[in-house]
Amino acid sequence: MSDSKVVKDVMTGIFEYPHVPYWFSISQAIRIVKVSFLSTKKYPDPMAVLVFDEKYNLMGTLTLKDILRGLEPQFLKPSAKAQVAEEDESSLSLLWDTLFSKGSRDLAEKPVSEIMSPAKYFVEPGDPLTKAAYLMLHHDLVLLPVLENKKKFIGLVRMIEVFDEISNALLKE
Amino acid sequence: MELIDREDHQKLYFQLYEILKKKIESNEWVVGSQIPTEDELCKMFSVSRATVRTAVLELVRQGFLKRQQGKGTFIYKNYVSEGLTMLTNFRELLFEEGLNFTTNVLARTVMMPIDGLDVKLDIPKDRHIIYIKRLRSIDNEPVLLQETYIPYHICPLLLEEDIEHQSLFELFEKKYGIKITRVKNFIEISPLHPDEKQLVNLPESSQAILLNQYFYSGDTLVMYTRSIKRTDRFKFLMELERKAT
Repeated sequence: MSDSKVVKDVMTGIFEYPHVPYWFSISQAIRIVKVSFLSTKKYPDPMAVLVFDEKYNLMGTLTLKDILRGLEPQFLKPSAKAQVAEEDESSLSLLWDTLFSKGSRDLAEKPVSEIMSPAKYFVEPGDPLTKAAYLMLHHDLVLLPVLENKKKFIGLVRMIEVFDEISNALLKE
Repeated sequence: MELIDREDHQKLYFQLYEILKKKIESNEWVVGSQIPTEDELCKMFSVSRATVRTAVLELVRQGFLKRQQGKGTFIYKNYVSEGLTMLTNFRELLFEEGLNFTTNVLARTVMMPIDGLDVKLDIPKDRHIIYIKRLRSIDNEPVLLQETYIPYHICPLLLEEDIEHQSLFELFEKKYGIKITRVKNFIEISPLHPDEKQLVNLPESSQAILLNQYFYSGDTLVMYTRSIKRTDRFKFLMELERKAT
């Protein structure tokens, strides 16, 4: 990767993603995902919603996986067979029933703050892209917020841009 | 029957709104009667459910229609108080001037329009909006709770302004050159959400004044405010003048 590449060269604007305050319910967030992405057939990678506090500070991100996990607590439980490729049809049937049970509807009224991935790691616009790549890989992040002067949230680094830069550098050599 | 004109550049929902409004005003649909269901309206006018829903919601908001849970939507009245022009000073109407308020900004953030806010603000559902929630107190007693919604593109810099000591109205007009030319007001006595009651110190059983205000600059809707006031702390003076006909 080119040494001169910095975060601001690849970052995405924050208004590419829907914003919600932390008190919005999961069901409200689902409607927003549908309106912002699914119904317009815009499928950014990752598909995510940004969660803010009452002073417009970024609190976290909410991906489709976070939402589904919030609707179905059993997803949180590690399965010994998670790596097994074959499908267990009886489990799928059970899963379907569970997801659309009244219990899930109740869970959908929980605030998004309970299921979001908290924003813990940040980069500055002038930071090298390698720093962003390191943080994203080592902390399993799909989005990395960019803060100006450690305060103002001005952009996001996505894995797709990090991948693009690393792969470009690799293929050149 | 008047139909939607697809060559017309006006939005479909607005055309449908106008058609339905005419039916109500002309008494073709009589006060108290039930309007066709969403499905029936979709078929009648060959439009989507979203278009029907938006037009009907606007008529509900304007007071022409009333929804009854589990029963349907009914004609509520066939007129609105047109022809009356508000002479009240804008500032008095905003309750931002003249009284010694202290303002506590409870929230100022950005969100997506939910629960019909896209219709209220006349913006697409995927546009960001600025949300401001302020609690106004007199002598440390909360009397007014205001929630304000502004399409983000109208005034993005509002997020950085001191709105504890400056009125939004003045910021719009003096700093950003957005002249407010018209305000539509809808006033009702309304039961409140428990959280709202707590904020304005109202007992469980009491009601409050709910003021919904739509602020226009020319034809553009620039702000929608929902204000909740305690009924015991305010008196309204509204001087109205009938327009010349």
